[in-house]
Amino acid sequence: MHIDFLKTVFENNAKETAILWKNTSYDYAWLNNRLTYWENRLKELQILPGDLVALVGDFSPECITILLALMQNENIIIPLNNNSKVNHSEKFSIAQADKAIYVDEEDATRFEDFGTKASHAFYDELHAKKVPGLVLFTSGTSGVPKGAVHNFDKLLAKFKTPRKALKTINFLMFDHWGGLNTLLHTLSNAGVVMATRNRNADAICEFIEKQKIELLPASPTFFNLMIMSGAHLRYDLSSLQVITYGTEPMPESLLKKLKEIFPHVKLQQTYGLIELGVLRSKSKSDDSLWVKVGGEGYDTRVVDNILQIKADSAMLGYLNAKSPFTEDGWFITGDQVEVDGEYIKILGRKSELINVGGEKVYPQEVENTLLGMDNIAEVTVYGEKNPITGNIVCARVTLKKPEEKKEFVARLKKFCIGKLQSYMIPVKISITENDQHNERFKKIRNIN
Amino acid sequence: MRNKIIELIYSSIDELNAQNEADSQLTKTEDTVIFGKDSNIDSLGLVNLIVSLEQAVNDEFNTEISLADERAMSQENSPFSTVSTLADYIEELLKQ
Repeated sequence: MHIDFLKTVFENNAKETAILWKNTSYDYAWLNNRLTYWENRLKELQILPGDLVALVGDFSPECITILLALMQNENIIIPLNNNSKVNHSEKFSIAQADKAIYVDEEDATRFEDFGTKASHAFYDELHAKKVPGLVLFTSGTSGVPKGAVHNFDKLLAKFKTPRKALKTINFLMFDHWGGLNTLLHTLSNAGVVMATRNRNADAICEFIEKQKIELLPASPTFFNLMIMSGAHLRYDLSSLQVITYGTEPMPESLLKKLKEIFPHVKLQQTYGLIELGVLRSKSKSDDSLWVKVGGEGYDTRVVDNILQIKADSAMLGYLNAKSPFTEDGWFITGDQVEVDGEYIKILGRKSELINVGGEKVYPQEVENTLLGMDNIAEVTVYGEKNPITGNIVCARVTLKKPEEKKEFVARLKKFCIGKLQSYMIPVKISITENDQHNERFKKIRNIN
Repeated sequence: MRNKIIELIYSSIDELNAQNEADSQLTKTEDTVIFGKDSNIDSLGLVNLIVSLEQAVNDEFNTEISLADERAMSQENSPFSTVSTLADYIEELLKQ
C-alpha cells in the first residue's frame, strides 16, 4: 500500500524506460514485474515487516527494486553505498541491522541474516503504525555517526503530487537524501533513472552529452573540478536546462563562473538535511545565493542568525544521540544565515564541522582514529579553506618521540586507509612540540 | 630552476602513489595528465598532490606561493592539466 501510487505510475507507463543502467534500458513493466518478484522473495527470505534491513548498493536496477519492495514490506531500511572502502559494521551495529542485502557492481545480490532483532522506541513506533522506516547517518561530534530514524511514508507524501520529470542524472549518493530524492522524483513522474558509477567530471559530461541530460544535481566541488579539468569544453552540454547545487556553501565566484559557462541554464540552490529531508527551494536569480526555502510541510524561522526548521516529515530522532529539536519541535540546523525578506543566504555551519566537498567531517572522529596510531601523543584536527573542495582536513600532531616528517606523513596516511573514508584523511599534516590544550585542558582547535 | 620544480612534482607524485591503489597511479613524465581527460586521480588525489607540492615548493624556495587559488582556477588553460603545465605555472609564480 505504501508505494501503490508508484505502482500506478509504473502500470500507466509500462512501455516507457524506467532505468538506464550500463547501456541497458529497463522499462516500467520490467520494474513492476521485478517488484512483485522481490515482494515475494522478501517473504521467502523471512524478512518480516518491521525488520531492520541494511541495503548496501547503488542506483542499479535490482537495488532500486529491492528498495521499493522493502518499503512496501514495511521494513526499516538502512541504505548504504557499495563503493565505500570502509566497511559498514559500525553503522550496522548502531542501527541494529537484523538483515542485510548486498547488491554488487554487477547487480548480483547476496543476503545475510544476523539472527538478531532490533529494539528501539522509534522502531516500535514505526512498526505499530505499520509504516516503512529509513535510517540515514550523519557525522556525530563525538566521532560516532548518528543514526536518524524516519517514517518513510511521510517522506513519500510529497512525491504524490505530479511534477515534471526532467532527464536527471542520479549524481548524488544512494545513502543520502539527495540521491533518494532524485530517484523517487524520477520514478513518481515516470522519468528515466540515469545512473553512472563513475562520477569524475569527464565521465559525467560525456554522459550528459550522450543521454541529453536536462538536470544535473551536483555540488560546488564537482563544478570546480569540471572547470579545472576543462571537461565542459570537451562535450556538448547544450541539453542541460537546470543545474542544482547544494550540500556545501557555493562560493559567489564559482556561481558567477557557472553562469558564464551556462548562460541559458537555470541555476538553482537546494537545501536538505539528513534529519529533515530536502526542502523545496527557489533561488532569487541564477547568479544569486539568496534563496527561499520551505514549501509545503516546512516552516522556517531564524533565531540568533541560525536557521530553524519545523517539518512535518522530520525524523523521529537520533538512535544514539539526544534530541536536536527545541521543546516546541523546531530543528536547529546550525546553519548561519542572513535574512532579506523572504530570502535567506546560507553562510555555513557555525561549528567545528569540516565540509569537504559536501561531505561532513567531525574533527573528533578523525582524532579518535589517529590516536590509535603509534607514536602520537596528541593530535588536533581542524579544517582549512581550500578552493577546490571548500575545505580540507588538517592535523597537527605532537609525537611521543622524534620521527622524520616525511616518513610520519606517509605512515599516517597509510594508517587511515580503510579506517576512515578518503575525504576524512588529513591532507595537511604538521608536527608540533607544543602541548595542544589550554590550562583547562580544552583543546585549542582554531589555529587560523 | 625548472628541473628542481619537476623534481619536487615527481616527489609529490611518489607520495601520492604510495597512498593510492594500483589503478590510480600517476607516472613520472612531463606529459602525464594530472587533472583532465583520462586523469588517474580523483578530487581528493588532486587536493593531496597540490597541498604536498605547495609545501615542498615553499620549503625549497622559501616562499609563500599558493597553487590552488582563484587565480589558478580562472586561467584560460588549467595549470593542472599536465606535469609540464604545472611546472610552467610554478615557475611563473616564483618569478613574480
